Amino acid sequence: MTSESNPMSGFCRLYSVLLYAYPPEFRRQYGRSMEQLLRDRCRDLARRPGGLTLFRFAGQVMADWLRTTVRERAAAVWSAGRKPAKRSSVTEWAGTFLIYLFATTTLVQAYVIPTGSMEGNLLIGDHILVDRMVFADPGPLGRHILPYRQVERGDIVAFLYPEDLRQTYVKRIVGLPGDRIRLHNGQVVRNGRRLVEPYVQHIATQPDPYRDDFPLAPEAWTTPRGRDMLQHHVRNGEVIVPPGMLFALGDNRDNSADSRYWGFVPREYVVGKPLLVYWSYDAPTAELQQWTLDHVIDVAEHFLTRTRWKRTFLVPRSQPAEEVGDAR
Amino acid sequence: MTKHRLPRELLPLTPPVFHILLALVEEERHGYGIMQDVSQQTDGALQLGPGTLYGCLKRMLAAQLVEESDERPDPALDDERRRYYRMTALGKRVVRAEAQRLAGAVTVAMARLAGESA
Repeated sequence: MTSESNPMSGFCRLYSVLLYAYPPEFRRQYGRSMEQLLRDRCRDLARRPGGLTLFRFAGQVMADWLRTTVRERAAAVWSAGRKPAKRSSVTEWAGTFLIYLFATTTLVQAYVIPTGSMEGNLLIGDHILVDRMVFADPGPLGRHILPYRQVERGDIVAFLYPEDLRQTYVKRIVGLPGDRIRLHNGQVVRNGRRLVEPYVQHIATQPDPYRDDFPLAPEAWTTPRGRDMLQHHVRNGEVIVPPGMLFALGDNRDNSADSRYWGFVPREYVVGKPLLVYWSYDAPTAELQQWTLDHVIDVAEHFLTRTRWKRTFLVPRSQPAEEVGDAR
Repeated sequence: MTKHRLPRELLPLTPPVFHILLALVEEERHGYGIMQDVSQQTDGALQLGPGTLYGCLKRMLAAQLVEESDERPDPALDDERRRYYRMTALGKRVVRAEAQRLAGAVTVAMARLAGESA
């Protein structure tokens, strides 16, 4: 009777898990009814055309969940204060907290941009939210809950820096497995075709052959992984991206430590896709990464003036480069 | 604690509680039936989420504005059993008192706003 092909069935399953954030008593009493209600509503919405309604409904349900879990938790603690408590409310709260933690660490994560390598699109001091699910391997169940897709050329992607996994970098994906990449006078040539990349900025006044006419022999800045790439994956003056790897470049092309210097990004190091800038604050790099007392005071004093209000809630755009004619 | 209360003491009602009571004036309904009716009453402006709906019902049960009826399937939906809710006599008095209060507020508002535009 209940159709499992309904795209919302995954959402209904997720909701049964989310119900654990309510106090146990409330869940025991109303949990089943709430699941039932959600199923009924999903079924009605699925009969009507328009995917947007489904997404708006999912958003409404999540907002409702956030508000009412807090409310029912508070009510449970309030009434526990008057009745002899049966169970420690600390463990109750811990349950809710764990679920929020799941939501905030699995679905999205906050990062701050510490370098200017994506300047033009992301500035130093941009605090971004990264969608961690979009490029994750969904599995059969997850596919229905959230939109997943493959990494594509032109995507801005957050990933673990291969030379130091404690750091997260944000760059633009220029090459997928099988792509042949080289740079000519600072312009990317991919599979023999010159790219027009409107998002790239060039600031250098001095030419730098390694940077602008990549790939050449390793130079001082080339890391071990970069040297490995130059040694094993260059053919006919082009880097060939091996299976399971990505080639990433910064938009601030002349001032970016990227795949030219430290090699390929393994696909499994990809963390996600920057969703939006939730706060942009003009401050020196070192201060942004650690909340020292000085930085706290600085933020308190200059929050209004140094916050780049225009950048708040800005969405960094993935943008495919235009391929024009053959190079040369 | 909630016994022998005057309807007046429970006012003003929150919009969800008010509309849930209105949904139950004519007949008893299950949760989804209430949600649909509230959406219809308010032209879709008030969409009750599951948490809001059952949180309100819980408090309304405690305040004895509504009571649980039996559990039975809804032939219009499927063969699953659903919990039905019906309004109590106190609930009916409270929703009437709230409607009067709102009507009074609307009268005042109309009078003042009419004076303003003149």
